[in-house]
Amino acid sequence: MASNISPSAFDKEQIFGMAEKEMEYRVELFNKMTQTCFNKCVDNRYKESELNMGENSCIDRCVSKYWHVRCYLSLLLDLSLALV
Amino acid sequence: MDKNIISDLDNFPEEDKQRMSTMADQLQIRDSLRMYNSLVEKCFKECVNTFYRKSMTKQEETCVLRCAQKYLRLSMQVGLRFSDLNQGSSTTDK
Repeated sequence: MASNISPSAFDKEQIFGMAEKEMEYRVELFNKMTQTCFNKCVDNRYKESELNMGENSCIDRCVSKYWHVRCYLSLLLDLSLALV
Repeated sequence: MDKNIISDLDNFPEEDKQRMSTMADQLQIRDSLRMYNSLVEKCFKECVNTFYRKSMTKQEETCVLRCAQKYLRLSMQVGLRFSDLNQGSSTTDK
């Protein structure tokens, strides 16, 4: 009876492994996004500490586009794999 | 932590909750160290270009400080946008 309710030890390990990979993926995605958008948007003369209006605007757009590129290529890869 | 994971945790036995929590903590520590390292590398590359002396010049100090502050502010802003996108809320083009 109990075995029907709770997953087996093996299933549990798989679930934990998958959850960990998912977390790592999200963290890595965030890091790449941050570094990429910093390189593209921030004036490297560092005249002040605050992000100026242009930089703020650029960052918003950079994040959005990065996300859409990721979604687009993800879809593209799924299609190409499905065609094999 | 992701909202989905948090909601799932409610149905977990205590032992598994603890394990998931430990996993998230370790990941956070790793991420913080990684962020710190990339920040140092980035700002060093940007701001330190001469090596006549061992100590940093006033100009280099100022540059490094501003670089770090901009990076942290940018990271915060990216985090906010990232959350929005994750939750699938529509982004208005601007």
